[in-house]
Amino acid sequence: MSLLKNLSVSCAALAIAAVPVMADITVLAWPGGPQEEALRKVVAHYNETSESQAELLYFSRDNFFDKMLADVAAGSKDFDVMLTATYNVGKYAPFMTPINDLINDEVLSTYPQGAIDTQSYEGNVYGMPTDLSLHFLYYREDLINELLSNAAWKAKYAKISEEYLGTAMVPKPADQWSWDDFSAAALFFTKSINPESPVAYGTVLQLKNLLFNIMIWQGTAASFGGDWRDADGNITVNSDAYRRGLELYKKLIDAEATPADSLSYEYAEANAAFGAGQVAFYTQWSAAFAEFIKPGEYPAIEGNFDITRQPAGDLGPKTHYHSLGLGINANSERQDEARAFLSYLGSNEAMEMYLANGGQPPVVDAIMNAQAGDRPDMLMMADHTAKYGIVMNGGASSVALGIYSNMAENFTAYWADEMDIDAAINNVTEFMEEEFAK
Amino acid sequence: MNLQARERREAKIFLVGLCVFLALMLGFPSLANLWFSLNEVSFHNLTGDGFAGLNNYKEALSNPGLWKALGYSLKFGVIATFLEVSLALIMVFTLHPLLARKPWLTAILMMPMMVSPALMGVMYRLILNEFTGIVPGYLNLLGFHVSLMGRAMVQHTVIAIEVLQWTPFAFLILLTARQSLPYELEEAAAIDGATETGFNFKVVLPLITPAIIIVTFIRFIDSFRVFDHIFVLTGGGPGSSTTSISIYIYKLFFQRSELGEAVALSLVLLFASLVLLYFGMKLAVRKEPS
Repeated sequence: MSLLKNLSVSCAALAIAAVPVMADITVLAWPGGPQEEALRKVVAHYNETSESQAELLYFSRDNFFDKMLADVAAGSKDFDVMLTATYNVGKYAPFMTPINDLINDEVLSTYPQGAIDTQSYEGNVYGMPTDLSLHFLYYREDLINELLSNAAWKAKYAKISEEYLGTAMVPKPADQWSWDDFSAAALFFTKSINPESPVAYGTVLQLKNLLFNIMIWQGTAASFGGDWRDADGNITVNSDAYRRGLELYKKLIDAEATPADSLSYEYAEANAAFGAGQVAFYTQWSAAFAEFIKPGEYPAIEGNFDITRQPAGDLGPKTHYHSLGLGINANSERQDEARAFLSYLGSNEAMEMYLANGGQPPVVDAIMNAQAGDRPDMLMMADHTAKYGIVMNGGASSVALGIYSNMAENFTAYWADEMDIDAAINNVTEFMEEEFAK
Repeated sequence: MNLQARERREAKIFLVGLCVFLALMLGFPSLANLWFSLNEVSFHNLTGDGFAGLNNYKEALSNPGLWKALGYSLKFGVIATFLEVSLALIMVFTLHPLLARKPWLTAILMMPMMVSPALMGVMYRLILNEFTGIVPGYLNLLGFHVSLMGRAMVQHTVIAIEVLQWTPFAFLILLTARQSLPYELEEAAAIDGATETGFNFKVVLPLITPAIIIVTFIRFIDSFRVFDHIFVLTGGGPGSSTTSISIYIYKLFFQRSELGEAVALSLVLLFASLVLLYFGMKLAVRKEPS
């Protein structure tokens, strides 16, 4: 009897040992801000319900993608799940495992197909989207309302616009602005031009030699019909649309309607300027909204600002958009566990939790509407992406990051008077031709 | 075996550990880089797509961006080094009597050097911000409305940050040289009726010249390859107006994915730095009084 009992116990132990135990995984994710906060909550819940535990790993934001590139190129297995973004999915695709088979009905009930497409390259899906990013016009409601109602301000506005832009203009509500209205209002609210302005500058442009700043600017060129390439793959940067976009910024810089230090500004500096109550309006990433509505963080503008679409060009308003996502490191030895984690991430439950905790996932209307009361920006993000969103032709290719960086170098040189507009555009065109020919 | 020969043999034995360490830590990466620079490598294929010969070197040296970045680094290095060494000398002459009595004050003067250059860049992003920064705030109160990161000032600002951070290093080396001078020299000079200025210029300055030469070369090489705080503050811009050679190589490597070219350029610069340092050492050693 004892022998039988021992044998039974041994068999049971062997059976248990034969069942594959899922290993733990490491997730390399985008650090800081509401994204990190939200993902930590989702991962904590995943760890409670899954036998495989996910551990989060964060580099600093500075040059995040360069560090990740060096790691994956060296064959690192230190993380199983890695970050991906629309503008560099082509660059990282060779180091990632496609996840086409994970895009099932459950996932498509979480994300619209368009969101999945932002994580795709050459027919394969590489990432499960987590955050959508686009641009809004952030503006001071009190100032714009006053401009629309104050007769003296209107007269001054007409005078300044005639002097600087050649046309006596009439102020419009911010959600009806063209780029001319944007320029006129920027000049009007600049104290050095209009000493009665209650703020120091009309706007704040982000002009540091940084690829993300070109993403903000390129909505301007796109609204005039600009694109990187035509349908045949010819580079089309040398166009009227790009020139108009570049010259529009230059005019505002030369008129000092943006701080002189703008040439070193990026996201944080622009937020500081607007948040300090010294700027009337600016175009900024959608993520800033969540920061500005935190009680007590920005008293100068608290309850006194709003967001709307970007100003319009000939083709209406346009905004660059992209998504961040998580995909699988091809070097990982825990492919099944990584896939299980991404499957969970693509579920309704995970993305509802992510959204509720401050994330900005590009989810379907049903999930979005359920959170709309707490997150009005999210509804606008979905709406604006559908109506105004653009991805440049080639903007998700393996050479996109290099092109953005090259544009940043040459276009900021033009804005800083280091180079004329023809040289800047020709340099970018030559570089793009070379890169796309690789 | 005489004493001198025995000491020489022991010195060689003691140097073995250092040589092995250097061979592992510097020699291996240098050889690997040499191999990379002679091959067509990419992020997708780090083992190389084929032998490139000297093509990477040719490409690197024929790129006009290189010469602009080299010119900027040279200008930055010369100005920053001149200011750092001059300020350090002035500080040594003026603070030496005080620091001889209160040596702990030296530690306070060293503080800027202890901050990592990248962090220094981040700190100055806050300190110099027109809306939230303390420096523009005080300048405004005094009636100066200066945009320290604007077109007109950005070049001066990045040099000033370098000087503020690294003058303490030059000061430390020169102070050590000054403090190593025997006190009898001061006594003798005083008996001979030398003024403090005369003593500093006619006695101290010639005696610490080797230290000045060495610190000048070290600071020049370090300033020449400046990266961190400029990259954080300006990204090498506007345009490429603050792109140093290190930032240029970094962009070549990560943004243009020209790995072979970037590594080739790094090796050329490493070699140039070694040549410069070699001659610096020779100059300094020759100037040392017997």
